Amino acid sequence: MRIGLTVNGELHELEVEPRETLVEVLRERLHLTGTKEGCGLGDCGTCIVLLDGSPVNSCLMLAADAPGREILTIEGLAEKGELHPLQESFLEKGAVQCGFCTPAMILSARALLDRNPAPEEGEIKKALSGVLCRCGSYKKIVEAVQAAGKKMGG
Amino acid sequence: METRYVGKSVPRVDGLEKVTGRAVYSVDVNLPGMLHGAAARSPHAHARIVRIDTSRAERAPGVKAVVTGRDVPYTFGGMVKDQPFLALDRVRYVGEPVAAVAAETELQAREAARMIRVEYEELPAVFDPREALREDAPILHPGMADYWHAPIYQGIPGTNVVTVRKLSVGDVGRGFAEADEIFEDEFYIHPVAHTPLETHAAVAQYFSPKDEYTLWSATDRPYRLSRELAAALGIPVNQVRFISTHTGGGFGGKGAMVAEILAVALARFTRGRPVKVVCSREEELTASQTRHAAFMKLKTGMKKDGTFTARSAEIVWDNGAYCSLGPDVAWRGVLTIVGPYRIPHLELYSRLVYTNKEIAGAYRGFGTTQVTWACEAQMDIIAHKLKIDPLEIRMKNAYVDGDLYINGQNLQNVGLLETLKKTAREIGWGEPKPPARGSKFRGKGIASVIKPTATPTDSYCFIRVNHDGGVVILSGAPEVGGGQKTVLSQIAADTIGVPLASIVVPQSDTHYTPYDMAVASSRTTYHMGNAVRQAGEEVRRKILESAGRILETDPARLDLAEGKILDESGRELLSLPALMDKMFGGKGGSILGEGHHSPAGSPLLAAFPEPRRLRHFCSYPGNKTFYLYVVPKGGDVSADLETVLHAVPKFLDSKKED
Repeated sequence: MRIGLTVNGELHELEVEPRETLVEVLRERLHLTGTKEGCGLGDCGTCIVLLDGSPVNSCLMLAADAPGREILTIEGLAEKGELHPLQESFLEKGAVQCGFCTPAMILSARALLDRNPAPEEGEIKKALSGVLCRCGSYKKIVEAVQAAGKKMGG
Repeated sequence: METRYVGKSVPRVDGLEKVTGRAVYSVDVNLPGMLHGAAARSPHAHARIVRIDTSRAERAPGVKAVVTGRDVPYTFGGMVKDQPFLALDRVRYVGEPVAAVAAETELQAREAARMIRVEYEELPAVFDPREALREDAPILHPGMADYWHAPIYQGIPGTNVVTVRKLSVGDVGRGFAEADEIFEDEFYIHPVAHTPLETHAAVAQYFSPKDEYTLWSATDRPYRLSRELAAALGIPVNQVRFISTHTGGGFGGKGAMVAEILAVALARFTRGRPVKVVCSREEELTASQTRHAAFMKLKTGMKKDGTFTARSAEIVWDNGAYCSLGPDVAWRGVLTIVGPYRIPHLELYSRLVYTNKEIAGAYRGFGTTQVTWACEAQMDIIAHKLKIDPLEIRMKNAYVDGDLYINGQNLQNVGLLETLKKTAREIGWGEPKPPARGSKFRGKGIASVIKPTATPTDSYCFIRVNHDGGVVILSGAPEVGGGQKTVLSQIAADTIGVPLASIVVPQSDTHYTPYDMAVASSRTTYHMGNAVRQAGEEVRRKILESAGRILETDPARLDLAEGKILDESGRELLSLPALMDKMFGGKGGSILGEGHHSPAGSPLLAAFPEPRRLRHFCSYPGNKTFYLYVVPKGGDVSADLETVLHAVPKFLDSKKED
């Protein structure tokens, strides 16, 4: 089937199979491999992208359900080569280790900070609870989100 | 030495590609013409393969190759060569790969793999290593006597024991006779899955005219795996090239070939098209590797005053179907079941046993974790019975500088007493227990650990300075998420005297980067760090000698700092790029340095000359305390707060302090 997907502000006309998930289309057809697929079951959260600003597990969503929605992946976050404050803070605070969960963490945090630029620690933890970090960087990640919120005027 | 970067908090050098989603992991590798592979796996724990019918799979849409053990009749294993690429005559665990398919898409490959029909004749299986030791137990590897194994990994053919490791110190009989009290306890610790967020994945490409394989893999030990694979295939190491990708979590589990073996088996039959194999989460959890479960018996003799007289320990490791790195885990357990304590008489006995379960292999701690649980739990049992404070009994027996560790190593910079004291202070040891929270009662615990490192082992590197002063570190130690590239860059920047930003560390590639044993065993910063320092010193010396010639000055009066040639007063005479320009007459050129580090020959290791005993030597003792909430009647025990302190002479990156 033919669909139009708006990813990172760009419209892509694609021929996909009805069973293809959004993560498959992003990774295999659009080569946006910053979005990961760690389990394919909606458990690990590494496939999270923003759909009209809200985090979704792209492994649980069919690509065919996404037309007409704005999809943001990690590749679309830095604007005109400038890092987003979250990306800067993740670097500054040492919130990255292996980096496999990082795109999903940053996008989940972006959705939170867009809603609430000055979240409490508990709100950050709740907003990021859909993503697992097996290296155990959670503490630094929470600090990075707080620091980014401050940079964004929160 | 004054440092600009070592000991300071710097942003990690591979951070930018990770926060922008540009870092390429093994699951992200995508090559022209690439096919996708999937395995058909055993539903039985132990069975003889009667016949395999692949005909339907071969006709399935998109399928380019179907292989079984007959097509790739090789076995592999760096310590004991016991593992087939694909099951040969029998399967030994549920999930063992029996056949594999390469197809245009992953879905096609998985669907075709399901069409493979295998006829099995079930065999009795054994799931508990203690049962596997019985005389009437089913034998997993009747051909063990014929397996290649490195000389130190001696099994007992005709049984399920693949490795026996023993160590005796002093005379335990005498030690127990001197004891006021003898404690005998048994402990069991379960297997654990590594659960990296990136499942095992690899891409392999075969070039038949040269019988040559190229692999893209997230392993932590590319050089060792290229050697292991070359040995399995009977070809030179130069024909097995490992290109390291980023690693989405390894924790020891990516030191073993899991997806690599399937990709190689398939790539031989796809006419040069690369094959990618990505384990599903289910495959990761059932058919990759686990940490070893272990049964441990401890017999410990104590004086009333809380000092040790003797310990004997017996460890039975549940190895699963193939041994992987288990033989060294069995040895590490021997070396650490004594804890960081002075025990005069020891008799330690460790057996690695096959069972019909998922393979157990390297996992963070490498055996130390399992035995430390037994050792420290018994310490508390002893302290309770002897009515000695658990902190005090540890302090009383703790290693101090100058003690000989059981491998003969002269221990220096131990720091255990200081960390125990500091930990006790931090957690308010001896103060009244915190109040209960509802039905939950709060308690405190303290534990110590001794954690050796696999060494003497070797790390080599090259450093290249480009004609414009940029620095490239060619190291066989891949970045696996722990900050390896950052630490090596910090060391190089300080040693050479160049800005951190002028350094790049490409991922390792066995065609270019020299040998490194592995990014494992907490060894990289020390071993590869020293190799980098040595190579850095060489290029620094060459740069300063050239500067001396060009500036007509004694090089000993010059300094190189942050990419600038300085005189004794700290005045800049020339920038590094300007110097290089003069050196090479405006043309291109490189300055090269090489480094190699191994602690072999260290005077600290002189007490026991027998080299195998020294293979693991002690890197750092540490201790750990924790608060527990315990619900009196239920099983709900949760760690609430942990305080972990290690005695570390120097932190190379200050962010890693906490």
